[in-house]
Amino acid sequence: MTDAAPAIFVALEQSGFAAAIRQSPWLYPAANVGHIVSLVVFAGAVAVMDIRLLGGLAATAPGRVLARARSFAVAALAGMAVTGFMLFSAEASHLALNPVFQLKAILVGAGLVNVALYEFSARREVDGLAPGASMPRRAKLAGALSLGIWIAAAACGRSIAYF
Amino acid sequence: MMRAIHLVLPLSALLTGAALAHHGWGSYDATRPVTVTGPIMTSKFENPHATITVRGNDKTWTVTLAPISRMSSRGATAKVVAVGQTVSAYGYPSTAAADEMRAERITVDGKTYEMR
Repeated sequence: MTDAAPAIFVALEQSGFAAAIRQSPWLYPAANVGHIVSLVVFAGAVAVMDIRLLGGLAATAPGRVLARARSFAVAALAGMAVTGFMLFSAEASHLALNPVFQLKAILVGAGLVNVALYEFSARREVDGLAPGASMPRRAKLAGALSLGIWIAAAACGRSIAYF
Repeated sequence: MMRAIHLVLPLSALLTGAALAHHGWGSYDATRPVTVTGPIMTSKFENPHATITVRGNDKTWTVTLAPISRMSSRGATAKVVAVGQTVSAYGYPSTAAADEMRAERITVDGKTYEMR
């Protein structure tokens, strides 16, 4: 525990919830495994969406492919949020000050902003496209950004322990 | 004797490589190993790593140990690293925090426990 972190993170680390995660022999490793399994599902679903947005899987109706993959991505994101919060709580004061964790948090935020921008600016148009139709530029941009941002976020996540 | 050295040198090189590849060891200086011996002042038998503080000759060290399931499976239970026990910890000092080290192995009551 470090007092140098903002009080909210110190308080979170000192909470009974965080203590229970640290003191259980299996909760922390289980959250670790759950985080990775969620990540794998998320990465798969997001890759399908991004490839479709970039113009791949061209024979499929984009609206249907995206809708199916989106439900997996949202469920996996929820799984990552729950397990990630568990892992974070156990060491909140140190992680809040870890530069790689900070970068990862920014990347996750950027990834979610990218999703929101797509939803507002391009989703309606893309969902109405027929199989084989060319993708609007905004959709391609969102797909490319998404691939880059989420891969970078995962790389940061794996790197936290080394810094 | 020579044969033993021939065997030990590549083996130790191999083990050092493994140590450097292990997670989290980037911020510990494996070229400057230290041994801290003294009484355990505080003990947290918690994940992701158990942690003890040890009053050494020069200062009180925070010694990072191993995940608790690994500690237990090697016999280094919470009782072994409890407050009041005398421990000898061999490991690497942190490059980030001056009085923290990460233990490679610890010895309590004449018994040595590997942490990795």
